[in-house]
Amino acid sequence: MDTLARLLHLSPATLWIAVKVLLAFGIPMGLGPVLTWAERRGSAMIQDRIGPNRVALFGKIRIMGLVQPLADGLKFFFKEDLRPTGANKVLFWLAPALAFVPAMLGLAVIPMGRSFELGGAEYHFSLLDPGNGMGMLLPMAVGAMAVYGVMIAAWSSNNKWSILGGMRASAQMVSYEVGLSLAVIALFMKVGGYDPHQIVAAQSGAFFHGVIPAWFIFRQPVGFLVFFVCMFAEANRLPFDFAEGESEIVSGFHTEYGSMKFGMMGLTEYVHIIGASALIVTLYLGGWQLPYMADQSHLPVLLTFAVFLAKLVLTSLVFIWVRWTLPRFRYDQLMDLGWKKLLPLSMANLLVIAYWMRG
Amino acid sequence: MAVIVKKAELSWLDRIYVLSVAKGMGITFAHFLKQLATPTRKRFTIQYPDMKKPMPKGYRGLHELKRFEDGAIKCVACFMCQEACPARCISIEAEEFSELNFTQGFEEKRPAVFKIDMLRCIYCGMCEEACPKDAIWLRDTYEVAAYDRLSMNFGKWDLINTYADKDGKAKLTPETESPATPRRSVAL
Repeated sequence: MDTLARLLHLSPATLWIAVKVLLAFGIPMGLGPVLTWAERRGSAMIQDRIGPNRVALFGKIRIMGLVQPLADGLKFFFKEDLRPTGANKVLFWLAPALAFVPAMLGLAVIPMGRSFELGGAEYHFSLLDPGNGMGMLLPMAVGAMAVYGVMIAAWSSNNKWSILGGMRASAQMVSYEVGLSLAVIALFMKVGGYDPHQIVAAQSGAFFHGVIPAWFIFRQPVGFLVFFVCMFAEANRLPFDFAEGESEIVSGFHTEYGSMKFGMMGLTEYVHIIGASALIVTLYLGGWQLPYMADQSHLPVLLTFAVFLAKLVLTSLVFIWVRWTLPRFRYDQLMDLGWKKLLPLSMANLLVIAYWMRG
Repeated sequence: MAVIVKKAELSWLDRIYVLSVAKGMGITFAHFLKQLATPTRKRFTIQYPDMKKPMPKGYRGLHELKRFEDGAIKCVACFMCQEACPARCISIEAEEFSELNFTQGFEEKRPAVFKIDMLRCIYCGMCEEACPKDAIWLRDTYEVAAYDRLSMNFGKWDLINTYADKDGKAKLTPETESPATPRRSVAL
């Protein structure tokens, strides 16, 4: 890396920052379109259909329709950019960005691989180095900001369906935030800190006579369940996609959106999935670590990165899989589940874990 | 009139919901794997322009004017099909000819013009039933489309050749050969 940095007239630290920014930006941007393809082909397979398989590069190379996202994106760019007459122009333009940016920001603290030493300097695989004081609080806080994207998109459209979707989605996201935070607090207590590097390090090795990897999914299954369900609500994914609810309110908060603004809204959904998966992987699935191994500091850096990516993709696929299995909740059932089931459950989880950890 | 909606009593396990979700996800995953393992030709979807469903026997598709093995047209221009046609899409003009013909013996009539307006045809198969010589068949092609009305007006040569390639026989054109005259002439 030193030679490369010298060739580019950069200090190795600056180069590494650039690489990390590219990774944190490139992973969701690259994986998002692939996930749209996976969603469409996967749902087709689940429903005994075939799915989009005919788009071909230069009219020849079909590769199972993998070029479909490219065609979709091109189509969005060439669509007419409409704005409804009663819409608030500024907010209508701002909303896709407001939805998109928080979804991207969550990845900033996620460690995507092992920290390593090179030429006397230590490099970390997360955009923000450990000890920045924000730790896992950043994705939590920024994730909560996603409400604004949905809400502003809904409000500025001047459309009844949009506002219905936006209202209930914001209520949903705020409600599930509570249970989510309590579930994570139990985990923070166990780790003794909320820095993602610390959390990942706490998940190395195995317990129960070395049979089960010491991932938090096995050590705090109830907390994981609550967190997982809340992540669906936060990402507006199907059992809880009240923002969209296409069978009830046309297309919810992005009813009035067309062209690339709609494309951006769609991409936001998948970036949310990737962000949520990254959180789940880091908090509950051992981050970049291989299971069972107690000392992982000697693993090749690229291997740890690959392990993280594999876990990320698999978790994202679970999001897609769940979407095509479960139907949408009714609104009162959603509120019931959030406030009367998940919140008490995560509270009890917190108390039980606190009791175990006493003195 | 009030309707009392009976609420289904869910068991304890169903109300917890986690197990039911797992069961449902198992079902969808089984479908996913099944569809993934099924080769394309065995899937439910027939990817139309690439794959075609074999038409059942007795399907009434595009017509063919049949010929004898020696290439002579079977039609004797008797006008039965034209009379039978409820859509009145067939128009025939007969002509006289008197050549000795090996398979047919002496025939004196053949169609000079045999036109079917495919835009009018309703594929009812009445012409096929009316034909005393089994000279017109409705077969399995259903892709009858064109860019203008004129090309939907099928003439004698079009109708003779509708299935020519599929049968492995060469296409016939008026310049190369007349199917009304036999390939072999036998002197009796």
